[in-house]
Amino acid sequence: MISITNKHLSLQEVMRQLEDSSAGALSIFIGNVRNRGRSGNVSEIYYEAYHEMAEDKMKEIENEAQTKWAIKKLVTIHRIGNLKAGETSIIIGVSSEHRHEAFEACKYIINNVKTRVPIWKKEISKESQKWADGNLLE
Amino acid sequence: MRSDIPDNDKIKVRLFAILREMVGEREITITVPAGITVNHLNNEILNKYPQLKSFSNKFIISVNCKVTTGDTIITSKDEIALLPPVSGG
Repeated sequence: MISITNKHLSLQEVMRQLEDSSAGALSIFIGNVRNRGRSGNVSEIYYEAYHEMAEDKMKEIENEAQTKWAIKKLVTIHRIGNLKAGETSIIIGVSSEHRHEAFEACKYIINNVKTRVPIWKKEISKESQKWADGNLLE
Repeated sequence: MRSDIPDNDKIKVRLFAILREMVGEREITITVPAGITVNHLNNEILNKYPQLKSFSNKFIISVNCKVTTGDTIITSKDEIALLPPVSGG
């Protein structure tokens, strides 16, 4: 299940969506807004998405993970809009029978979301606003 | 109308993030000859919006939500977007 939302992300809701009595392992990655960026202090980050393409790419990445590992359930949720330091921008959850698959799939998904999904962030402080450097899509 | 003169196509191009701010628009329209390629459209965009020239090796053009090659032919029915380097997560 993938989602891009401007609403607050709920870990509890992700956990509920991953429930599966045949899954003995559940791996969660939570990405938060850091209060320091490359150019100094960060008070908030503005996230922007090319919604349609970002959803396509997130589905593609989840499908790849499901091909590579025996996964029970997957959740990838990215928040967009203005997020203050400390708020959660992304949650990835994977459930599987054993821990190895859950760990590996979770790592694969976050690494690929960061480099292949058209979402951008602008670091905002009292002094400046700067779009983060990133990866050109291939 | 002479048949040897191609019709013009109005291509709408969506802009995101730093490119949206550099141009000041979420969407621009470029009038080009029908049968234009992605590379040709890129040149037309840079001619019309020279402020993007310094950034020209830092964005790609997507067609219908996919990254394509420069020789892909596009029409006004395609969804075109300029995408700067991504930084989600």
